[in-house]
Amino acid sequence: MTTSDPKPQTETAEDAEVVSADGEPRIGVFPCACGKNIGAVVDIDEVAKYAESLPGVVFVQTNRYTCADPGQNEIQQAIKEHELNRVVVASCSPTMHEDTFRKAVKAAGLNPYLCIMANIREHVSWVHMHEPEEATMKAKELVAMSVAKARTLEAQQELDVPVTQAAMVVGAGVSGMQAALDLAESGFKVHLIEREPTIGGIMAILDKVFPQNDCSICILGPKMVDVAKHPNINLITIAEVDEVSGYVGNFNVRVKQRPRYVDPEKCTACNDCVEVCPVDVPSRTDQNLTWNKAISIPFPQAVPSSFFINPDACLGMDLIRCGKCIDRCEQEAIIPSDREKIIEFEVGVIILATGFAPADPNKVPRLGWGRYPNVITTLEFERLINAAGPTEGHLVRPSDVSKPKSVAIAQCVGSRSISTRTGCSNYCCAESVKCALLIKEHYPDTEVTIYYQDLRMHGKYFEDQYRKAREEGVKFIRGRVGEIQQYPDTKNLRVAVEDTTHNKLLMVDYDMVILSMGAEGTAGDFPLPISCTEDSFYIESHPKLRPVDTSSAGIFICGGAESPKDIRDSVIQASAAAGRASIILQKGRYPIEALSAKILQDKCTRCGTCVNRCPYGAIVVDGTGKHTVMGALCQACGTCAGDCPQDAIYMPNFTNEQLHSQIEMALKENPSEKIVAFACTFCSYRGSDLAGVSRMQYPTNARVIRALCSGRYHVQFAQKAFELGAGAVLYSGCHLPADCHFQTGNHWMAKREPRIRRWMERKGIADDRFRVDWVSASEGKKWQGIMQDMAEIVEKHKKTKPAPKPKRKPKAKSKPKTAAKKTTKKKATSKSKTAAKKANKPKKKQSKK
Amino acid sequence: MTNPISSDKIESEDIDPQFTERIVEAGADRIRTCIQCGTCSSVCPSGRRTAFRTRELMRKAVLGLKDEVLASPDLWLCATCYTCLERCPREIKVTDAIIIMRNMAVDEGFMLPQHRKASQKLISTGHAVPIDDANRKVRKDLGLDELPPTTHSKKKALRDVQKIMKKTGFKKLIEGQAEEGA
Repeated sequence: MTTSDPKPQTETAEDAEVVSADGEPRIGVFPCACGKNIGAVVDIDEVAKYAESLPGVVFVQTNRYTCADPGQNEIQQAIKEHELNRVVVASCSPTMHEDTFRKAVKAAGLNPYLCIMANIREHVSWVHMHEPEEATMKAKELVAMSVAKARTLEAQQELDVPVTQAAMVVGAGVSGMQAALDLAESGFKVHLIEREPTIGGIMAILDKVFPQNDCSICILGPKMVDVAKHPNINLITIAEVDEVSGYVGNFNVRVKQRPRYVDPEKCTACNDCVEVCPVDVPSRTDQNLTWNKAISIPFPQAVPSSFFINPDACLGMDLIRCGKCIDRCEQEAIIPSDREKIIEFEVGVIILATGFAPADPNKVPRLGWGRYPNVITTLEFERLINAAGPTEGHLVRPSDVSKPKSVAIAQCVGSRSISTRTGCSNYCCAESVKCALLIKEHYPDTEVTIYYQDLRMHGKYFEDQYRKAREEGVKFIRGRVGEIQQYPDTKNLRVAVEDTTHNKLLMVDYDMVILSMGAEGTAGDFPLPISCTEDSFYIESHPKLRPVDTSSAGIFICGGAESPKDIRDSVIQASAAAGRASIILQKGRYPIEALSAKILQDKCTRCGTCVNRCPYGAIVVDGTGKHTVMGALCQACGTCAGDCPQDAIYMPNFTNEQLHSQIEMALKENPSEKIVAFACTFCSYRGSDLAGVSRMQYPTNARVIRALCSGRYHVQFAQKAFELGAGAVLYSGCHLPADCHFQTGNHWMAKREPRIRRWMERKGIADDRFRVDWVSASEGKKWQGIMQDMAEIVEKHKKTKPAPKPKRKPKAKSKPKTAAKKTTKKKATSKSKTAAKKANKPKKKQSKK
Repeated sequence: MTNPISSDKIESEDIDPQFTERIVEAGADRIRTCIQCGTCSSVCPSGRRTAFRTRELMRKAVLGLKDEVLASPDLWLCATCYTCLERCPREIKVTDAIIIMRNMAVDEGFMLPQHRKASQKLISTGHAVPIDDANRKVRKDLGLDELPPTTHSKKKALRDVQKIMKKTGFKKLIEGQAEEGA
């Protein structure tokens, strides 16, 4: 991957701002009563009065409903009249209305990122309904924390990048074809890349397809022709993607096309060359059951409808070594001088439809495939039963070309086993039932038995087919085939299996055994870092809500590349991926996360930690070793900043400085009684909001700090809080292992826990005062429990503390409300810090005892 | 087998929820992931000659049918060849589980008379298979001492071995049950 910067960022036209964020902060605070929601518990006027005393605050206005139109108008008016350059709205949760207020301030000419909220509803009035005084106190402190943060907020630009309105689809099996056709029909240029000499994928070599058992090539063939003829599709066969660089909207692709040695424009597929070619090659299409020539066409319906020469088998395309085909071809279609081509183009989106590979039967040697000729795979069966196959549709035993009178089908070969692949391959149950029905259809007298462990006929119309198979006399026996042995003389097979439904060991003879092969993943060799599962299938961005997106913006997945699936599901997914991709293409511009990370080059030591942390591959290193963030890839989780040893990463609106100022403000008064709770945006903070919405009461001493993803929580945050004398600290995130909205942030946070605990041990801070926990957005109850538990811990440690010590800090408590508030306040803050440190010292001794 | 019209049902009293847990803790950690596919039974050399069904034993273990499993003679039909463990798609330590359950069976007082007899021999003589007249004769013919230089001829060594068996609880395990069994 190259390291080009996302330079083509341009500001969208309309938001020309008029209010400058530079100069002294002029903060406006807008406490909201939210009718009685807040007003009935929190004394809003007192909060307003307190807010006036805070440094940098020049205007305070309360309102019954700030989010309503009049409330928003008041904010806009205040921005103009009082030249406000920061806005703090103290009302509900930012997950509820931050967007509303940001839009409102934007309309008044203020950069939307200069407006933040203090959550005094979900975090105060709704969870402390019976303690109005403490609730008011907490509300004041939350406002103070937000004001402290607001002082250092900076304007952020909402940028976007232009999108090249073309797509690349990799893989031209049924999924890739569908995705390419959908996009091409929508009017976008599509480059369709296929590794093989023909498109069609696995579906092209199947005989009949379940559950209706219609002819596979009859339904696929016309689609293949559509692909070949579509003016918007640029089909590139015998080619592989060599290099991809860039980012969403602007991918630069380099494709390597191997030589075909036959001009597809001239070739008429007349078959003349085959007649003279002297070299036999095992046929890939026919699963090596028969022979092809060195010059061949995969199957008659191949697209492009052209022969190709296998250079590894060809004797030589000149008259000295062979050259018979050149001599014979009347069209003069053979190009001995054909060479590898490099094709380069730009696309805005990429769809990966690289499919799966049939599992390797050699991995299960006890079933005898490869040693016993009459043990075949399902794909080999497909070719044998196919009228276009090597036996013209006659099912025969490879050992003696006789018709099998009894056939066993063994399920789950290569699937559901730790030694091959643990997952279920999804399609094989239906595939086997179809095979059984095809055998019964061709040879009603042949006995067919399916050995299964769980028959998963889950799809639409599948159950009908299952019932039909039973009606036709197919036997179903529940048991996994343990081993297969061959009679050396007859080449018949003895299958050892337990009929688990009645505890009998079966040692039964068959003429033929079909291994129902599962799928193997092929993902991982694409030249972009798209994360894969252990068994090499691409990982979707979200398993439910973003099933065809990847973690890299602009790259989508579908079909067998995502997981083993049947044709219908592949087509559904392909259309979904094409739909998702066309959203980006249609708009023509792609918005960049305004809060994306920036690397401060003067601090960066180029240690590479951030490169390793970023789940999106957004941090790139150029030739000189310089680290930069590609804004179009960054999703603003802050995991890089959470582990940067140099504080060299700037996370807009969540800088270390801003978060530290919130910690300081939270612990200004009675720090030893406080819980500093970090919550991630998508799970834990929403969990805490849910506790509020559900009116789950808990003690008032928690001060929640919202910080992007749990990956953002630096070790320093806990250290800072404890140094300031915090009673307890919570790091909360999305559940391990896979809930994190940013994929891996929670794992990196979990890895910091032991470091923090070791540090605490050195400093003599009791271990239970720090907690790492996982709270999902649905776990309001859990949040309440954690708050209650931690309050008890704080209480416990307060009790064990020597009584007079914490009361040494009253100096910090007296609130200076004079005109010279700024200076006195600063002194008070510094004193309170030292007092906190002093208070911390005896604690150490205490806990060591 | 016994009563052809007996009701063959499992009631709550038959289930010991701790049983599976104990097997897991003793080392057969994946036993709960068993999908009852029957691979173990189908490759079992003992099962080819007897009614022993490994899968059935695993099933009962996972269900927690402690008394049934521990009292079952099936438990002793495994030859511990480890083929099932090798072939299990879930990589369950099947053979280990059987050995764990055998240990539990003995602890609970279920033991085949042959095994107990051999163990008693071990306690009294220091040999599971003590020397007999035929072997004495063979030794003599070969010009060896009639008794080998083991616990047979060294009384102190025998006392030491017995001490070990007492300390480890083996003696109590065997003889305690001998009394109960008698």
